[in-house]
Amino acid sequence: MLLAGALMLALAAAALAEPPADAAPPEPIRGGTLTVGLPYDIDTLNVYSTAELGDVEAAVVEGLLVPDEHARYVPALATEVPTPQNGGIQLTGGGTAMRVVYHLRPGVKWHDGVAFTSADVKFTWETVRDPRFLAESKDGSQDVTSIDTPDDLTVVVNYRAISPAFASTLFTFGILPRHLLEGHDLNHDVYNQKPVGTGPFKVSEFRRGQYVVLDRNPFYWRRDERGGSLPYIDRVIFKIIPSSNTLGALIRAGEVLLAPRIPYMLAKQLQGARNIELVSGPSLGWIHLDFGLRPESRLRDPVLRRAIAQAVNRAALVKAAGGYPQPIGSPIVPLLEALHDASPEASAPAYDPDAANQALDAAGYRRGADGYRSKDGVSLNFWITTRSGEIDGEIGEQIIMAELKAIGIRVSADNKTGIAYREARYHGDFDLLYTRWVTAADPVYSVFYGSHGPLNGQGYASAQLDAALERMETSIEPAPRRDAASEVQRILAHDLPAVPLLNMVSIAAKTRRLKNFTINPTNMTDFAGIARWYLEPPAGSVP
Amino acid sequence: MSLQFLLRRLLGMVPLLLGISLLLFVIIHLAPGGPLDAYVDNPSVTKEALEQIKVAYGLDQPLPVQYLKWVKSMAQGVWGYSIRSGRPVTQEIAERLPATLLLGGTSLALSMALALPIGVVTAALRRTAWDHVLTFLSFAGISIPVFWLALMMQLLFAISLGWLPVAGYETIGAGGLTDRLAHLAMPAVVLSLATVAAWSRYLRASMVDALGQDYVRTAYAKGHSATGVLIKHALRNALLPVVTVVSMEMAGLISGAVITETVFAWPGIGRLFVESMDGRDYPVLMGLMMMGSAALVFSNLAADIVYALIDPRIRYD
Repeated sequence: MLLAGALMLALAAAALAEPPADAAPPEPIRGGTLTVGLPYDIDTLNVYSTAELGDVEAAVVEGLLVPDEHARYVPALATEVPTPQNGGIQLTGGGTAMRVVYHLRPGVKWHDGVAFTSADVKFTWETVRDPRFLAESKDGSQDVTSIDTPDDLTVVVNYRAISPAFASTLFTFGILPRHLLEGHDLNHDVYNQKPVGTGPFKVSEFRRGQYVVLDRNPFYWRRDERGGSLPYIDRVIFKIIPSSNTLGALIRAGEVLLAPRIPYMLAKQLQGARNIELVSGPSLGWIHLDFGLRPESRLRDPVLRRAIAQAVNRAALVKAAGGYPQPIGSPIVPLLEALHDASPEASAPAYDPDAANQALDAAGYRRGADGYRSKDGVSLNFWITTRSGEIDGEIGEQIIMAELKAIGIRVSADNKTGIAYREARYHGDFDLLYTRWVTAADPVYSVFYGSHGPLNGQGYASAQLDAALERMETSIEPAPRRDAASEVQRILAHDLPAVPLLNMVSIAAKTRRLKNFTINPTNMTDFAGIARWYLEPPAGSVP
Repeated sequence: MSLQFLLRRLLGMVPLLLGISLLLFVIIHLAPGGPLDAYVDNPSVTKEALEQIKVAYGLDQPLPVQYLKWVKSMAQGVWGYSIRSGRPVTQEIAERLPATLLLGGTSLALSMALALPIGVVTAALRRTAWDHVLTFLSFAGISIPVFWLALMMQLLFAISLGWLPVAGYETIGAGGLTDRLAHLAMPAVVLSLATVAAWSRYLRASMVDALGQDYVRTAYAKGHSATGVLIKHALRNALLPVVTVVSMEMAGLISGAVITETVFAWPGIGRLFVESMDGRDYPVLMGLMMMGSAALVFSNLAADIVYALIDPRIRYD
């Protein structure tokens, strides 16, 4: 699963999480077909193998826990979220390791009617960690030393160390059906086309490059407040629409009733369109400008990095994005209330081009006749990279290029796509990178900024930050965790390996007839909540 | 045309295709990155696990060995597995072929049906108002970007008028011939527009050239009707260069049309190719490119055969 390495949730937050009680909503309507437009071609429907976010999978496959619309974990196939208070988390090995106990929901059945048990949970771990299984995401599978299943409804997971992030990994991604997959080669199994889960919908048809049809699971375990069966909707069709212009046209024509995570540019175009509602919700994603800190790079000069940070006007970026995203100064976004530090010392410098110009003058970067600065005969000339074809990123990049030109720095675009982009990003083959991370509720920042972070392609290394990150990411107590997070933000604001710019907002375009829809800010996608959505019949139709 | 000639040409294709495959293999491996990049950056994939993945796909072998293994398995009809989806390459391609052939074939037929009369008319009525109008439209057809035209057509025919579906291959669960044609209409027209324009220009130039020849004057002198001279004497001679151009396009039929497929959400080969390229899915890429190359080589042969059929002066021994 995309960016899975970064997805974590604080135990403290999880401990508070209980399913929210709805206040007397209108009687939901049953039936109907929901047509969804997805912008990417689906590679596989196996949550562990796919390189995309699992929109379809979230309606089909369930984990033991699931993040809700407030990015808090709530129970799914487990009956409660394990915490130290309820005895679900126990320290072992003299306080160096831990054990997590899940109690499973009784009476849950797979789509084929076979009972779901603790053996499926253990099988999932064994399958995912098996080196022969070629998975995109194996997060968390190495942290577990063994799993005991004392009975059909109890799972005891023994961890190698204290792992506050346990809830965001394999047992949340999804559970695999042992009775269908044991002894199979999961790399080439039909499961990847037609996964069998315990979720509200089951896969009826998957046509590559075209669509996936899901039909209601009549045996779904979850009930609504009135004790009625869920889900309300009968059928969901995911259409694959690779062009965002076409997606816009399909939404206008009513051929697509819901499009999650649409580009800001498309949202701008759809504002005020008839029968269409734009729903925005917080996202844990943030957009940032990264510096490539190769040994020979001039960007290793902190004066230069600071000046660049001061030259970027976040208000202009927000405006270009239709006014949707929010400016930020720290990678720990405000939505993460337990960790976010709003003080100025924990925030990257604000927009101040005059200060940037003065600092560059003072540091000896002199302007030439052409307006561009140079020092020691070398002019300030950089490349900026973003993922080509992503309209929002390309527009933001243009704005940054213009703003840096204003302080005498020449920047040219060097955009890439697919593997070429990945290569540049993770191997530090860039000067400036305009990019984003999307995470779940409590990201592990060592993967991005730790000296040996696997996603740290910048070449940034700070022993001080490593120590602060270590404290933040191995603590399960709220107060020391918050202090460590604050120190992390201060070091990042001082060192400026990257400039945090915008907190993304997730926007979905949907028909007004779709009710109970909520944005899920995590990488588990909006479809984690699909069981409660319902469709009002079109105006003028006979019920 | 002798059987011997055909056999010789067919045998000659073997070393040609081998050479092409070697070239393609080298080129796709020159591009930065590889199919396992997703695993390399993943903290939870251990070094040992990565080695095992490499062995599973044969990516641990030196490139020349990888190439020879690929040739050997292709010769046995085994195209390998897609790294992206884990499914056989043949299955990945076979699923996309019907949509690709339907769109490509329709647009080819449409292009020929329009380009031939336009080319002949503009040549016969050259320097008249008809010629100027059709010439203007041809240049417009060549110049209009496909994605813009597609978008405008979607706005007009699908959203404003509601006559045609915006995009897609078929109505899910409905299907039927009318439904298929409705989905096909816009992409086929968009795809053929530039071709119609280009081909009719070729034919016009070729016709103008033929109409100035002595044999045309002779035919008129012998009292043939104007239409007869145009079709029987001039067109038949003018067609040869057009056959070359069309045969090139025939190969494109099977390689898909990325932009049109993307805008109309058409499940064709072009999109599969771009996705595979983005993910460096070597087995699928090699399969697709070899198929495209083979199509090009065969359509060249087909063009040579058609030459002989049209022009009795051309003989192959």
